[in-house]
Amino acid sequence: MTSILNPTELKQQRRLLVIWCITFLIIFPFLISLGLMMRMNQGGLADLPPNTFYSYMTMHGLGMAGILFSITLGAANYLISSRYVKLKIGFQYFVYFLILIGFLTLIFATIIGGFAAGWYVLYPLPFIGASWPAWSTALTTVSLIVLGVAWLLGSMHVLLALAKRYGGFSRLMGWNYIVGKTPDEPLPPMAMIATVALVPAVLSFLSAAVFLVMFLFQYFEPSLAFDPLFMKNMIFFFGHVIVNITMYLAVGWVYTLLPEYSKRDWGVDRIFAISWNGSFIFIIFAYLHHLYMDFAQPSGLQFAGQIASYLSAVPVTVVTMFGVIGQLYHSKVKWTMVPFVFLLGTMGWAIGGFAALVDSTIYVNKVLHNTLWVPAHFHTYMLAGVVLYIFGFLYYFSTPEAERKTENYSKLGIWIYLIGVYGFLLMFYLGGMNSVPRRYDKYVGITVGDVQSTGMLLARIAAYFVMAILAGLLVMYVSLITRIAKKFNE
Amino acid sequence: MIPNNLFLSIQTSAAIVSLLGAILVVCIVLFIIGTSSVDEEKHQAKGKVYKLRVKYFYGLMAAIVLLLFFTMQTLPYFKHKTTRSDEVVTVVGAQWAWKMDHGTTEVKAKEFEGLNDITLPSNKVIQFNVMSADVNHNFAIYNDKGDIVAQTQAMPNYTNHLQYTFEERGEYHILCLEYCGMAHAYMTGSIHIE
Ligand code: HEM
Ligand SMILES: [Cu+2]
Repeated sequence: MTSILNPTELKQQRRLLVIWCITFLIIFPFLISLGLMMRMNQGGLADLPPNTFYSYMTMHGLGMAGILFSITLGAANYLISSRYVKLKIGFQYFVYFLILIGFLTLIFATIIGGFAAGWYVLYPLPFIGASWPAWSTALTTVSLIVLGVAWLLGSMHVLLALAKRYGGFSRLMGWNYIVGKTPDEPLPPMAMIATVALVPAVLSFLSAAVFLVMFLFQYFEPSLAFDPLFMKNMIFFFGHVIVNITMYLAVGWVYTLLPEYSKRDWGVDRIFAISWNGSFIFIIFAYLHHLYMDFAQPSGLQFAGQIASYLSAVPVTVVTMFGVIGQLYHSKVKWTMVPFVFLLGTMGWAIGGFAALVDSTIYVNKVLHNTLWVPAHFHTYMLAGVVLYIFGFLYYFSTPEAERKTENYSKLGIWIYLIGVYGFLLMFYLGGMNSVPRRYDKYVGITVGDVQSTGMLLARIAAYFVMAILAGLLVMYVSLITRIAKKFNE
Repeated sequence: MIPNNLFLSIQTSAAIVSLLGAILVVCIVLFIIGTSSVDEEKHQAKGKVYKLRVKYFYGLMAAIVLLLFFTMQTLPYFKHKTTRSDEVVTVVGAQWAWKMDHGTTEVKAKEFEGLNDITLPSNKVIQFNVMSADVNHNFAIYNDKGDIVAQTQAMPNYTNHLQYTFEERGEYHILCLEYCGMAHAYMTGSIHIE
């Protein structure tokens, strides 16, 4: 694929991507080890004070969601800038450093400061009965504002550049395809998918900005009280959208790169455009399924939540997943790392997505809500979906075409990783099935049936699978890190 | 109306359905990998997949409409409006204890007094009016086997009405299912059914 950038610009862009990749490869296992300690604590293999457990949980949740979105944005920046429309390199560095500062501040506020209100900082928990110092609440709020601003700027930068290049929002949303006017210059899938992902993202960052500023008001004026149901809607809108669109943004490069391996074209057409316009709407309304057990929420919104959740499966499976099958079926593709990992990522997405659909049924949610079923499903499409797409991208980026066959370490590593991931996930699902609650630092206080012993046993087994995940990553890192680092000077 | 448990608990059925879904997905992936070396002209191969896709689309839409129709027959939200309850119980979640008492209350959630266990009759429609004195909690009822049978959020400023009929005599248990601070995992209570 030829680049629209001149060699110097391309080199700069490549260097920034290397920095992004290395940052991700360092932070990711760090956050996994927090997860490992949580599982060990729940299984009785470790003994953390409650505040330590919950501050790890907070850092892990915010950190994972944040780093995966950030690396995905970084990768999308690289692809868009090198192929479709040049993005300002200085501005990208600015966003990178802002994100880095936000991350370091967040780590300080949680791991050292002890802030422990969970990723969703559910109002009014940060302000009532907190066992951590007030400054760590303030510092977390500030770090999230820094991250939010960075993501907002990074997203706007991409959206504005794309809009300028392809003639505005309606073009980017493919509306001309929908009405039957195929443009002379075809719209790349990545451009449309980035739009569908980043416009809701911008809305969600604005929603986050509003409640974070409300947090700051509350911090300085403790007598204030905001409506908790309204705050809950805001936070879940933000949290759901950012995780959801991380997956979509990553799918953008699957659309872009898979055809290079299958040798089959995969472009925007009318059905593609209709489908991604559908996704746009479902992204915005699906978050409502997080509030099913808030009976005070207007019931119209509860219906909307289930309908939007169900319908979101239509474009994803009909267009994207069938699209992947259409790319690979009888294609004589060579199963090197990239196509293999893209296919497996799609598999994880489908499995996790299906488990999510089951839980997005109100009738089912009333017994699965806030059990381990919830982390089970989203860890599936993150660990077995998005993360694999990211590794696919890293291999694409770091391994020249000619060398892509001989990847014994990578293959071994990915297999160990996969065994670890599916074992770890299975324990979460079994926990959910057995009504083990989520967000419990220990299960010893549960005296109902055998929930306690089941929960502890599953957590212990899961801890060993997590160690396998870390081992698998280590094996992959052996070759991956040097290859990526080499790209810095290429 | 769909009964609460047809043969298996809802959670077991959900797990089985999800497992079957996962197996189907894995089979599709294995099939694609296994047959990928077959040489077929690309438009022809894609054409076959897209033909199947049309059938899948109609099947999926039909399934969604049917499932929405059936699963939305019994929602937990309106029961207290449509069914008369035999007994009302006030429940207040507070950091970190459940307070329960018979009847409605006039006092604010913060001032409410109650105990973390209560005795209730079997086979009567019980309405729990659930509130919170401080942060978000979640009032979840477990049967003695350890399965969740019903739940609702306990939220400051709002009252959530949860209706449930206990069919079996004996012990039911309460856990908190919304993270509410340090002792969240120890915020328990019990319900004796006579
Ligand atoms: C091997 C990797 C991982 C391990 C071992 C792990 C482990 C855990 C554990 C033990 C919990 C607490 C579960 C509970 O409620 O009891 C958790 C929560 C969570 N994890 Fe992970 N996780 C991993 C990867 C990820 C990834 C890739 C994401 C990406 C989004 C993620 C996001 C979250 C979030 C958002 C929470 C909820 C935090 C909260 O409740 O405030 N995790 N994880
Ligand atoms: Cu709680």
